[in-house]
Amino acid sequence: MFSRWIYTLPLRLRSLFRRSQVERELDEELRCHLEARIQHEIAAGKTPEEARYAALRAMDGMEQRKEECRDMRHMNLIDNLVRDVRYALRTLTRSPGFTVAALLALGLGIGANTAVFSVVNGVLLRPLPYPEPERLVMIFTSRPHSERGSASVAEFLDWRAVSRSFETLDAADQSRFTLTGDGEAVQISGLSVTATFFETLKARPILGRTFEDGEDQPGRDLTVVLGERLWRGRYGSNPDIVGKVVTLEGRPHTVIGVMPASFEFWQRDVEAWVVLPLRPPARRGPHFLRGLARLRPGVTIEQATAEMEMIARNVQRENPKYYSNLRFPVVPLREVVVGDIRPLLWVLSGAVVVILLIAVSNVANLMLARSSVRQREIAVRLSIGAGRGRLVRQFMTESVLLALAGGALGIALAVSGVKALRMLGPQELPRLSEIGVDGEVLAFTLLVSLTSAVLFGLAPALAACTASLNERLKAGGRAGESRSQGRARSVLVVAQVTLSILLLIGAGLLVRSFTRLTSVDPGFAAPPERVLTMLVSLTGPRFETAAARTAFWDQLLARVSALPGVEAASISVTVPPDRAAFGDDYEIEGKPLPAGEQHPSVPVPFVSHDYRKTLGIPLLRGRWFDGRDRADTPRVTVISESMARRHFAGENPVGRRMKFGGPTQTAHPYMEIIGVVGDAKYQGLERDSGAVFYELFFRIPFRDMWLLVTTAGEAQPLARAVRREIQRLDPNVPVDRVGTMAGALADSVTLPRFRSLLMAALAASALLLAAIGIYGVIAYSVAQRTQEIGVRMALGATSVSVVRMVLRQGGQLALVGIAFGLGGAAGLTQFLERMLFGVDPSDAVTFAGAALVLGTVAVVASLIPAVRAARVDSVTALRHE
Amino acid sequence: MSKPSDLVQGTLDLLILKILALEPLHGWAVSLRLKQISGDVLQVSDGSLYPALHKLEQEGWITAEWKTSELGRRAKFYSLTRTGRRHLEKETADWERLSTAISQVVRLKEA
Repeated sequence: MFSRWIYTLPLRLRSLFRRSQVERELDEELRCHLEARIQHEIAAGKTPEEARYAALRAMDGMEQRKEECRDMRHMNLIDNLVRDVRYALRTLTRSPGFTVAALLALGLGIGANTAVFSVVNGVLLRPLPYPEPERLVMIFTSRPHSERGSASVAEFLDWRAVSRSFETLDAADQSRFTLTGDGEAVQISGLSVTATFFETLKARPILGRTFEDGEDQPGRDLTVVLGERLWRGRYGSNPDIVGKVVTLEGRPHTVIGVMPASFEFWQRDVEAWVVLPLRPPARRGPHFLRGLARLRPGVTIEQATAEMEMIARNVQRENPKYYSNLRFPVVPLREVVVGDIRPLLWVLSGAVVVILLIAVSNVANLMLARSSVRQREIAVRLSIGAGRGRLVRQFMTESVLLALAGGALGIALAVSGVKALRMLGPQELPRLSEIGVDGEVLAFTLLVSLTSAVLFGLAPALAACTASLNERLKAGGRAGESRSQGRARSVLVVAQVTLSILLLIGAGLLVRSFTRLTSVDPGFAAPPERVLTMLVSLTGPRFETAAARTAFWDQLLARVSALPGVEAASISVTVPPDRAAFGDDYEIEGKPLPAGEQHPSVPVPFVSHDYRKTLGIPLLRGRWFDGRDRADTPRVTVISESMARRHFAGENPVGRRMKFGGPTQTAHPYMEIIGVVGDAKYQGLERDSGAVFYELFFRIPFRDMWLLVTTAGEAQPLARAVRREIQRLDPNVPVDRVGTMAGALADSVTLPRFRSLLMAALAASALLLAAIGIYGVIAYSVAQRTQEIGVRMALGATSVSVVRMVLRQGGQLALVGIAFGLGGAAGLTQFLERMLFGVDPSDAVTFAGAALVLGTVAVVASLIPAVRAARVDSVTALRHE
Repeated sequence: MSKPSDLVQGTLDLLILKILALEPLHGWAVSLRLKQISGDVLQVSDGSLYPALHKLEQEGWITAEWKTSELGRRAKFYSLTRTGRRHLEKETADWERLSTAISQVVRLKEA
């Protein structure tokens, strides 16, 4: 087989590229034969004339024979292709309106598909960027109220001591580090990890080394692995960075290595990794660790899960007071990274497929309309001997050309779309840096383009070539549309309307839930654009003691409050709407829980006295913290309305007592509840967990605190002055995430905003395409019925009745489509349920609204041709015949 | 494409290959030889000969070369290639099997 190729390939290439020579040789060969035959006949006694005639007869059609020989040499395939392409280009440029409309529709449809596929491919389909990623898992602690919760050091040590399923088992904790020396004090995002963390991920540094086994044992020197971005930026890509000492959190750390910028785990912006010290803890909590492990080769998730279940049972048996329903779920890393985003991506994929279907049916419609115009041309070509197969092939060439051009346009759209996505995409979208228009995506686009070509090209091509020849020629110059073709066009329009309304309803639901979400009361009255927020971190030897930190905050608040334009200033460890930094469970005096049960962890804002004034949180009962509450007075707490409702229904909570931690937690005393304030959101606007309890900041003086400043005017301009005050107090105190509460509110809904915007854009495209589709069909049928309309008007029909007639036609198509669409949507919107907030998947307002919008669009799209129909001059129309 | 009605489909290829296996020939000579060998039983029109030759060449079973003919003219001579010879052997075997089978069937005596 192969040897034959070696021989035949040059021949085929020769037929292709040395056409004229092949042609000449064919000519000469046949002429030789003819001459030989003529001489043969003459020798047999014929006259030269007769001999020539006989020779040609024997050849049975010289040109046909040549054509057959060319066919045998596969020359015609290419020839025809070139001819078809040229012909198609000519036809396409001759009707630029059609071509532009078709290209735009296809570009939009294919572009949307390409963009979404590049996201789906980068996020869902491609393996995670670590070697043998299928063996990576994360391990959680599952307790009542938290399904995939963090683990505690005690739990992690239990896993490590007992489990056999894992090659390596690590823990990580995310934190922010203050980096000082070598320039301005900054905060960077970092991870504290156990020593084999990098080994588990099989990640290599670009410089130096990563942590060694045993480096997480207490008493070792402090070391740090830096991120490439930090190394390039702050340290000017210094090749001698390894071995240098940098100051993190005020303590010297030796740099041991640099990780490449492409390395990413848990958070995108991590720039430093330090060792997580594993001191055997005194208690089972607190829970702040993520477990990461690599399965031993051959060990399945199920086996690991079974083993961790067993460990959980033992741990619970040994600590019956602390745990109930304890499990340690083992989840593939991939699932943790992309699991949350998957439903959204599938919904988007569905949406873009719908867009493509609408675009394709639109183009099919245009093609059908045009093919009925070209019927005469087709008839003529058929009658002079063109094969039907050739004609179909020619139509398909046109379709493929259109689709490929549309695909190219789509790629251009997708490239800019993906670029925008990478720039604007919300933090919640994982693996954003891995998204791009690459070879796989281009192959996908090609496939989509060709499939579209078949979809929109084949039906019109067949329709054009099957109808009888006679009828067509009889129809003469009038382009008649067959009944079945007209029906096909109507079906396509109904399909477009149906599909558009699906998207419209999907987008409507998301947009409505987004507006619901943004109109959620965050629980404070201060105008958000007049509240300045910034994160201030106190680190280093100066702030080792709680007293030093408290003194700093007191001084800072006094100075900031005195700035002109400042109405109030306060600090809190946690700020609305979703920046809950500290949470804990709790116990209420006199309301014991069964053994092992615990209340869910709730945010505990540690705040300064003016916090309530700064944000404008209403006081409902009792009192707020005031001058009576000092470091040397007993600890008291203020609870939120939801907390009061949850535990003191019908009772007055003021004067009752509660404390931190579960039943095993004894370090904290009972505190008197002195007041009840309104609910403020701390865990995101969409969650209704307003249950919190407040304490004064100096009870546990945190290092990282949010500074809140309410101003008389716009908050942003005051940021400079506030920062200056902080610098003046201590130039080594870094300030980060400076913004306003308005910005914080906007940031908290980036994902909902992102998906509602995206769906709205897709729905708008669908609507536009459907409008074009309706317009096209109605306008075409009006053009076809010009005579009929002329006759009607000659017989006394008024313009109004003609307009009504045309509108009725468009309206009917739209109504059928709307009915189908509403039915389909009722079945499909349940897939959106998890993305909706405060809106039912079968929300009547959205459904009715979408139907109304599409109905209006249908009427408007039919109106233009309707008016044109009404202007038909009966005399001209009839004379046209 | 018209096919000689009196030739079983595919046999023209077999005949041409067989003739060219004896010696390289140009198209006219092939047509003469066909007539001569089969004693005018097999009628192959001049018209259907050339597409068949070009097909066989394209398949790689025969190869062509421009040479001077016995009449002193330039002509395109076809000759069998190695793969062509193998193909011929296979086709011949197939043909013999088929024709034997058919002969046996047609010779069956009616009971």
